[in-house]
Amino acid sequence: MIAQFQHKLTTSFFLWFDNFLLEKGEAYTNTTGDFFYYADPRLDATYVAYGSPFKQWVTDSSITGATIPSGVFIDGDFSGRNDGVVLDFDNGRALISGDTTDSAVTGEFAVKDFNVYLTNDTEDDLITENKYTVNSRLPSGPWTYIEPYDDVVPAIFLSTAQAENKPFAFGGMQDTTVQAKAVIIAEDTYQLDGVLSIFMDSVDETVAAIPMSGYPITELGDLKGDSYDYTGVKNDYVGETTFYVNKVRTSKLSDRTRKVLANELYVGFIDFDIEQHRYRFS
Amino acid sequence: MAFLPLDVQNALKRQAPKALRRDLEKEAKRNFKRIKAEMIKEFLSHPVTQEIMEGPSAPNISGTLGGVSNLFAFIGFDAGNQPVAPILERLEAVDIIYNKEYKEKGIGVSFNVFLPTAEDIFAITPLPWATGRSWAEGIERGISGLGYLLRKSGGRSGAAVQSRVNKVRGGRFQNTPYISSFIKRYKKRFEELK
Repeated sequence: MIAQFQHKLTTSFFLWFDNFLLEKGEAYTNTTGDFFYYADPRLDATYVAYGSPFKQWVTDSSITGATIPSGVFIDGDFSGRNDGVVLDFDNGRALISGDTTDSAVTGEFAVKDFNVYLTNDTEDDLITENKYTVNSRLPSGPWTYIEPYDDVVPAIFLSTAQAENKPFAFGGMQDTTVQAKAVIIAEDTYQLDGVLSIFMDSVDETVAAIPMSGYPITELGDLKGDSYDYTGVKNDYVGETTFYVNKVRTSKLSDRTRKVLANELYVGFIDFDIEQHRYRFS
Repeated sequence: MAFLPLDVQNALKRQAPKALRRDLEKEAKRNFKRIKAEMIKEFLSHPVTQEIMEGPSAPNISGTLGGVSNLFAFIGFDAGNQPVAPILERLEAVDIIYNKEYKEKGIGVSFNVFLPTAEDIFAITPLPWATGRSWAEGIERGISGLGYLLRKSGGRSGAAVQSRVNKVRGGRFQNTPYISSFIKRYKKRFEELK
């Protein structure tokens, strides 16, 4: 199936959300540290995995001050993509060509204050069913790698719910409204209030329409074309009709209710109404 | 057709609204009261309103949960809560106030009707577990079963509750028109009031 409106909206909303949080909130921390070898049966024999203690790393070069890695130090020597290193930004690790498992690997990167995930899970599943690993941004050690693939918190889970077309103009133009939701799971109220405040103020923002082909990450978690800059990608699609953030409501799980949960996490919600004036099947 | 001289027409425009105000006001208020009574009756007879008013033991007459459990429990209200009361209070407070004499197109007086907007209603209907969200809006836009799960986790436990929780989750919530369409309809009716 070829990509449809909903696919474009999802990609665009995800990339915009990530950039907006990092830019407005400077929601990242530059980090330097050791990487740790671990066996990953999902990888083919080409690579061995060395994991950092954090995932996800910042990928967006348009975020001023964020360290975007282009390689790692292996036994003191810098090795980049041309040396067979793949940087898996989502899982916070370097995949190194060969079979050496005892190298001393170090690196510099910016870790996001919140991981951002797309999800189809319902709010109740996200909050009451999923048992998350807490990948604290203020860890006390001992230092080790963070397991790959599973979602960790603090995190923000994005989803799109209902969508509706209403006639808007002669000629068949529609006013399309999509309800998008974000569930925030934070380690403390400072983090949670920060995210809610940033996105409360996102009303009236426009979101660049970026097709799925503009998504910057490869299947191994590295950057397509070695770098990604949201501002640059946005400018590549300047002719596309933008989306519009028409309404935003933020709320928090009340403290009394929160205490029912087994974990010590803080939960918030953002409900967006995203609009676009468009013709059907465009 | 007989034509009135211009000075007579002007005198009528000037004097008639004052002379007729009492009668017109009486008539307008009578019609207003009738529509207001219909509005409240319609609100109270809405299946969602009825189901919530009946409390935690009500059947799912609104059909929003596929017949499993009921809205009161699903949303996560505690026994004794009266979630519908603030809406009813706002509807009871709807009033008609004399505005001004009307001379531009025809002769008469105009009135203002203070009807809450859907947003006004959403602001006074917080979800019990996330006060920034409205349960009344959730009926229209979708609502998660989180309140139900959290309430159950905080209270009873055990296999019986767990299986009931699973049933509710499996059924999912079915959105239904509620406050927005209702207010829109009565806004139109009050605007047409003559």
